[in-house]
Amino acid sequence: MVKDNTAGSRLFDIALIVILVGIAILCILPIWYTLAVSLSNNAAASSGRVGLWPVGFNLGSYQELMGDRKFFNSFWISVQRVILGAGLNFVVILLMAYPLSKNAKELPYRNVLMWILVFTMLFNGGLIPWYMTVKSLGLINNIWALVLGNSVPVFSVILVINFFRNLPKELEEAALVDGTGPWRMMIQIFVPLAGPVIATVTLFSIVYHWNEFFNGLVLMSAADHYPLQTYIQQMVVVIDANTMTAEQIQRMSELSNRTLNAAKIFIAMIPVLVIYPFLQRFFITGITLGSVKE
Amino acid sequence: MINKGFAKHYYLMLLPGMIWLTLFSIVPMFGIVMAFQDYNPGLGILHSEWVGLENFKYMFSLNDSVTILVNTLVIAVLKIVGNLVFPLVFALLLNELRLRYLKRWIQTIVYLPHFLSWVILSGILLDIFGYTGPVNQILSVFHIKPVLFFGRADLFPALIVGSDVWKEFGFNTIIYLAALTGINPALYEAAAIDGATRFRRMLHVTLPGIVSAIVLLSVLSLGNVLNAGFEQIFNLYNPLVYSSGDIIDTWVYRTGLVNLQFSLATAMGLLKSVVSFLMITISYYLAYRFANYRIF
Amino acid sequence: MRAKSMMSLAIAGLMLVLSACGSGGASEKEADVSKDPVDPFGKYSETVTINIGKEVDSADKSLPPGDSPENNVYTRYVKDNLNIDTKIIWQAGVGKDYQQKVNLAIASNDLPDALVVTDTQLRQMVKSNQLADLSEVYEQYASPVLKKIIDSTEGLAMKSVTFDGKMYALPNVTAESDMQHIMWIRKDWLDKLGLEVPRNVEELEKVAKAFVEQDPDGNGKNDTIGISGPQSGGLLNADFINPNNNNYGFDPIFGAYHAYPGFWLKGADGNPTYGSIEPETKEALAKLRDLYAKGLIDPEMSIRKDAQELIKNGTSGIYFGLWWAGGYGPLADAIKNNPKANWQAYTLLDKNGEFTPHMGTPSNQYLVVRKGYKHPEAAIKMENLLLRDESKFDVSVGIGNYPLRIVFAPMDEMYVTYNAMKEVLAGTKKPEELDLPGYKLLKADAENIKKVKLEPYDKMDIQYWDPNADLGAWKRLYSTLVGIAPLMEPYKKTYSLTYSQTKTMESKWATLDKMEKETFLKIIMGAAPLDSFDQFVKDWRKQGGDDILKEVAEIAQP
Repeated sequence: MVKDNTAGSRLFDIALIVILVGIAILCILPIWYTLAVSLSNNAAASSGRVGLWPVGFNLGSYQELMGDRKFFNSFWISVQRVILGAGLNFVVILLMAYPLSKNAKELPYRNVLMWILVFTMLFNGGLIPWYMTVKSLGLINNIWALVLGNSVPVFSVILVINFFRNLPKELEEAALVDGTGPWRMMIQIFVPLAGPVIATVTLFSIVYHWNEFFNGLVLMSAADHYPLQTYIQQMVVVIDANTMTAEQIQRMSELSNRTLNAAKIFIAMIPVLVIYPFLQRFFITGITLGSVKE
Repeated sequence: MINKGFAKHYYLMLLPGMIWLTLFSIVPMFGIVMAFQDYNPGLGILHSEWVGLENFKYMFSLNDSVTILVNTLVIAVLKIVGNLVFPLVFALLLNELRLRYLKRWIQTIVYLPHFLSWVILSGILLDIFGYTGPVNQILSVFHIKPVLFFGRADLFPALIVGSDVWKEFGFNTIIYLAALTGINPALYEAAAIDGATRFRRMLHVTLPGIVSAIVLLSVLSLGNVLNAGFEQIFNLYNPLVYSSGDIIDTWVYRTGLVNLQFSLATAMGLLKSVVSFLMITISYYLAYRFANYRIF
Repeated sequence: MRAKSMMSLAIAGLMLVLSACGSGGASEKEADVSKDPVDPFGKYSETVTINIGKEVDSADKSLPPGDSPENNVYTRYVKDNLNIDTKIIWQAGVGKDYQQKVNLAIASNDLPDALVVTDTQLRQMVKSNQLADLSEVYEQYASPVLKKIIDSTEGLAMKSVTFDGKMYALPNVTAESDMQHIMWIRKDWLDKLGLEVPRNVEELEKVAKAFVEQDPDGNGKNDTIGISGPQSGGLLNADFINPNNNNYGFDPIFGAYHAYPGFWLKGADGNPTYGSIEPETKEALAKLRDLYAKGLIDPEMSIRKDAQELIKNGTSGIYFGLWWAGGYGPLADAIKNNPKANWQAYTLLDKNGEFTPHMGTPSNQYLVVRKGYKHPEAAIKMENLLLRDESKFDVSVGIGNYPLRIVFAPMDEMYVTYNAMKEVLAGTKKPEELDLPGYKLLKADAENIKKVKLEPYDKMDIQYWDPNADLGAWKRLYSTLVGIAPLMEPYKKTYSLTYSQTKTMESKWATLDKMEKETFLKIIMGAAPLDSFDQFVKDWRKQGGDDILKEVAEIAQP
C-alpha cells in the first residue's frame, strides 16, 4: 500500500483511530454494562444508579446463581442441543451440498430440487400444522424436537454449495481419472478443502441452536425441559399480571431481581463469546468464498 | 467428464436431508389450506368448512392489515438500507487503518453483537433505554427530560432499525472487506502518483473496486423486504408501539395463537410467503442476468 | 421422476399426520358405566388416571425437595381420598405461557383430559365441539356446598357455561370483593404534609401534586411519584372479559366520572351501549391525560415491567387496586423497606359524594373436560374435595399445586370475614363459633387476628400491627381489615350487560379491543390528541361495534 505521510494524512489517521475505536467500544458497552449491573447490589441496580462501574461491588448474584438448579439444567439442555444440532447439521449439510453443487447434467433434476429447497425456506404452513406434525412424530418434550424442529438449514446448504462450486475443477478431474468414486471424492477431495466453509456453517449451527428460544417455548411441555434462551426469555419477558392470582403476583414480585437477571444474561453469553473469536479466521474465508464468486 | 453412474449415489447422499426436509417443512406446509377454510380444530383440516377467499377479503377489510404491511415494509427496507450502507462505510474506514493489530481487534469486537440472541439483547436494551437507564441519565446531564424510549411509537422503528444495524453491521463488513482485498494495489500507486488525496483514492479506486459486491448484496437482500425481524420485535414491543411496530410476523403470532383466529393468521402468513417468494425469484434473475451470479 | 416420488412421500406423511389427529379420543367409549356408586366424595375402586395441563408458578418455592407439581402433598391427597392419579402432560408458566399452551392444545385438537381455561377458550372449544357435556355429572356429583356456592351467584356463574342448554364447564366463583377497585394511599405522607385523605378526583389531584413536589419521603430528592399506573401488559381499566382483579389500573378514576370503559351498559335511550364510546369515558380520559401531562402519574406507566417496584421501594404514594392488593400485594415488601409506610385504603367518590364502581362477574376460570374422557366426574370430585378440606391443608405448600384448582368462595366471603374479625376483636365472637361451611379460612383467621393486630383494635394504622408475629396472617388480615372496610359502606353498583363474547366478537373483538387499548393509552400518555377519541368511536362502530351492539341487545333482553 502507498505510504502517505503528509500532516493532513496523519490527522486523518488519528481521527480514523478515534472513530473506529469509538465504534468498537459502542459494540461492547452494553455487554460491559450488563456485567457491571450483575456485580452491583440490587438496590443500586433497581434504582438505576449503576453506570459503567459496579455500585456496591459484590458477587452475591453469582453465588445465588450457582445454587439455581433450573438455570444449569437449562444450560445443560442447550449444550446437548448444540452438540446434537451442530453435529447433525454438519453431516446433512455436507451430504446435501455436495451433490447439489453439481450441475443439472451430472445430477438430473438438480434445479428442481434446488427450488424446492428455496421454496421451503420461504413457505410454511404456519405454527399450528407444524406443531401438529412434530407432535405426531412423537417428539414433543424431546430434545430431538429442538434439534430437528426447524428442518434443514437451507441457507447453510447454499453457502456450502457455492463454496464447492468455486473450487478448481482440475482437482476433481484428476481424481476422476484415477477412478475415484463419488463418496471418496466428497470425503477425500472436497471436504479437506472446505475447512473454512464447514467451520462457518458449524459456527452458524452452534449460534442458532444456542440462541433459539421460540421452539423451546412451544415444543417443550415443562420448564424443566426449556433450553437456556427460553429460560431467559421467560425471565426478561413481561409478566401478564391480569391472569394471575394474589399469591402468584406476590411471589412473582419477590422474584424480580435485576442483578441476578444480569448475571444470568451474562453467563448465557459466555459460550458464544468464547467460541467465535477462535473461528473468526475460518468464517471470514467461508462466508467470502461461499457467497462472492470471483 | 461426467460419470452417469454417480447420479444414484448423489441421490443417496441427498436422501437424509430430503427426508428431514419433508417431515419438518413440506408436510406441515399442507396447513396452508387453512387459509381457505374456516378452520375448526374439532373437525381438523380434512373436514373444516371451505370458505374460498373469505379470509383474505376479511383480512383486507381490516385497518390493521394496512398498518402492519406498512410497518413491515418500512422497518424491513430501512434495515436493508442500513445494513448495506453502514457496513460499507465501516469497511472503507477500516481499510484505511494502517495499524494491523488494532484492525484485527476492532474486527473481532464488532462481530460480537451478531452472535448474541435477541432474547439476551432485548433484556439489555430494555434496561439501557429504560426510564432510569444509562441513556436517560446521560440525557439528564443535558437537562433533557427522560424519554420513554420503548413506549414511543414515533421512536420505535428507529430503535428497532438502529439496534439491528448495531447488531449486524460488523458482521456484514466481512464481504466488503473480502472484496476490498481483491483490488489491485497497483491502482492505488497509480492514483498516488497522479497526486490523488486519500479521500479521492477512496472515492475513485476503492469504491469502484467493490461496486459489484454492493450491487450484488442489494439484489440479494430483495428477498427480505417483508422480514422485519420477528424475534427482535417480539421481545421488544408492547401495545403502545403497535401502531408503528406491529409487523406481519407478530400479528400472525397473536392472531393465531393468542386470539385463536387460525385461518386469518394462516392467510396473512401465506400472503407474506408469496410476496417473499416473488422477490427471491426476481433477485435470482436479476443477479443472474446482470452480475452473472447464480445465488443457488 | 425422483421429484414425483418425493411428492408421494410427502403426501404419505401428510396422511399420517391427519389420521393421527383425527383419531384423538374417538376410539374411547363415551362415559363408561362405572360400578362405583354416585357419591361426590366416593373413592374409586380402581385407580382413575386424569391427564391435565397445568399452570406452574416458577416463583413458587414452597414444594419440599423431591416433590413436584405432579407429585406433591395435594396430588397424593387426591390419590389417597379419591383414588385419582393426576398426570401432568404439559405445564407452563403463569399467564401468557399457559394461555399459549392451552391455545396450542385447542388448535391442534390435542387436549388433556381436563383443563382450566378462560372464557374465550371455552367458547372456542364449545364451537369446535371438543368438550364433554357436564350437565348430568354436575347434577349427580357436585357436592351440596359446591352447588350452594354456584347458586349464590344467582345464575350468573351457570349462565357463563351454558350453551344451548348444556353445561360445558364448571365455573369458578370468586368473592364479590374481587370486583371493586379502591384506592391505596400513603397515610403517613398525607399526615406529614398536613393533607386530608382525598375522596374525589379534584382532591386526588391536589394530593398527587403535593406528593410529587413536596418531597414527602423527606430524602431531599425530587424522586417521588404521585399515582402509580399499570405495568407493561397491564390494563388501564378492567373490562367485561377481565372485569375483576385489575391492580394498578385507573378504574376508580373512571368510576368517579361514571365512565365504564370495557363494559356493556344500558344507554340513556334504553338501548345497550358500550362504555368505552360514551362521553363520560372521554371526560375521564381527558382528566387522566391532564394528570399525566402534569407529571402526577408514573411517567413510565405501561412500560414499567413491574408496577409493584415503586410501591415497594417507597417512591409511589397512591395506587388503585383490589382489597388484596394491600397485604397480598407489594406491601409486605414495602414495610420491610420502611416499617412506617402506612398504606390505607379508601374509595374514590363521584362529584355527588357517592362510590360508583363497576362490578364484575363471579366467574373467570372454567374447568373443562375433554369430549370422550371416561370419567368427567373425576374433575368435579376433585373440586368437591378441595372445597371440603382446603381449610385443613398445611398452607406452607402453595395451594396452587392442587391439581385443577379453581377458586370457590361464597360471594360474601370477605364481608363475612370482615364482620367476624371485628366481633372477635371486640370479644363478642370466639373462633370456635366461626367454622362455617364454605368459608374455609374464617376460623383460622379468627385464631390469628390477635397475633398480628395490636391495641387499640379500632385503629388500623401500620403502627398498630405486628407483621413480624406471623407475616402470612398479617398479609391476609391487614388486607381484610384495611381493604374491605371501604366496601362496607353502601354504594351504587354498575354491572355489564354481558360478561361473555357474542358471535361477531369471536372474529372481530381482538381488532376492536386492540384499537381501544391503543387509543386510550396514547391519549393518556399524550401520544395522540384527546379528539382521537371521536375518531375511535367512529371506527369502532364501523368495524363491527354496531353489529356487536345489536347482538348484545338480543342477549340483554330479559
